[in-house]
Amino acid sequence: MNEMNNGHERWSEELAAYMLGALEPAELAAFEQHLEGCERCRAEARWLAPALQAVPESVERIEPPTELRTRLMAEVRGDAAAAGTDGAADSAGAAGEQAEAELHVGGARSGGGRRRRLGDLWRGEGPHRLRPAIGLAALALVVAAIAGYAVGNGGSSSPNGGGQLTVESGHAPGVVATMVREGQGGSLHLRNVRPIPDGRVLEAWVQRGGKVTPVRALFVPDREGRATTTVADMDGVETVMVTVEPAGGTAAPTSEPIVTMPIPG
Amino acid sequence: MVKREKAERLADEELMPLIAAKDPEAFEVFFDRHGGAAYSLAYRIVGERTGAEDVVQEAFISIWRSGARFDRARGSVRAWTLSIVRNRAIDALRSRAGKAPKLTFDDDLVLEQRPSDDSTEDEAMRHETAGEVRGALGTLPGDQAKVIELAYFGGFSHSEIAGMLGVPLGTVKGRMRLGLEKIRGELAEGLA
Repeated sequence: MNEMNNGHERWSEELAAYMLGALEPAELAAFEQHLEGCERCRAEARWLAPALQAVPESVERIEPPTELRTRLMAEVRGDAAAAGTDGAADSAGAAGEQAEAELHVGGARSGGGRRRRLGDLWRGEGPHRLRPAIGLAALALVVAAIAGYAVGNGGSSSPNGGGQLTVESGHAPGVVATMVREGQGGSLHLRNVRPIPDGRVLEAWVQRGGKVTPVRALFVPDREGRATTTVADMDGVETVMVTVEPAGGTAAPTSEPIVTMPIPG
Repeated sequence: MVKREKAERLADEELMPLIAAKDPEAFEVFFDRHGGAAYSLAYRIVGERTGAEDVVQEAFISIWRSGARFDRARGSVRAWTLSIVRNRAIDALRSRAGKAPKLTFDDDLVLEQRPSDDSTEDEAMRHETAGEVRGALGTLPGDQAKVIELAYFGGFSHSEIAGMLGVPLGTVKGRMRLGLEKIRGELAEGLA
């Protein structure tokens, strides 16, 4: 019996370190193997679990910034809208289908009327004009769905204030952008963004009346190719764009946009 | 999609299936309940606000996108959530050479930058209980609280802690064990 206890003492000593995540990798594997077959250790772990749970509760409480909640929920609602689980998708679906159908008039997506509008846009007056070649590339844009999105104060919105617009960029294959309306502004969610080089960032731009201005909300994609930024003021915005720029951002776009999103007026 | 008012009346365990079904209202209630504790924990570990925000955002998005794989057999939703936040924060801490975890919560939130070649001993001193130790940890003798803090908030192994503090490995293990047992005893007394 004593031998058994002595042999077990080693594991018992390591239990707390295991629970605190303080075992070395090799020790961890051995301990977990032991734990699988040792009811005594499992019972001790269950007994000590409330103590471990009390540790993070002991930190001084500070309130998270409201922007964190806003960003998080914008991303969540963007996902839910894409998955059709936000409650707005059903009612907005018909409108989206109609809008998509309208863009097919003329035989191809991004048909005549839309093409002219985009062409005008890229040749627009203002301090930051994009090259016509960029505008032509942007014509590859495919509008995948428009679901109750509105800009300014007069538009409709979902019960969550989460009207959304989703576009698929033909210029950067695979990249999907979703703009989710949040009050006066909006959050822009990109998916399937390829890794960008070190020292480069994504920069968002808005276009109003032919003038392209930076949003000044620089962002980078995560490992899963997702990237999110916010546009504080969507009032009067006709187009939202994203380019890859040097770290710190630029005052005017220096590369072709990977996303171009015309905002329905 | 469940209405906000209804979601607020649900227990955490009841919210989880709704979150798994991608219900944003349920998720919002879940965040409102635990976001504060999560942010406080992340801030305690990474030591600065932007990093803490990133950690919390990543942790909660991972919960949302993974379908809230909560197993009630392994504890409460809150404990599960905070363990995810803790692991993310430790990962962030380890990937961030040159910054030390924050130990105290200064009113002016002035943060110090630590040169990357600081010794681990200095690092240990930064982690130790010079800062506020409240609640459960506050009931412990300093040497027990210290090893628990270094492990839980600093992400150090018991071997590393032994090296930092210059004490035998067995001593570190013993202090960890005694510390958790003492906290558990206090909790049991509180329930009695």
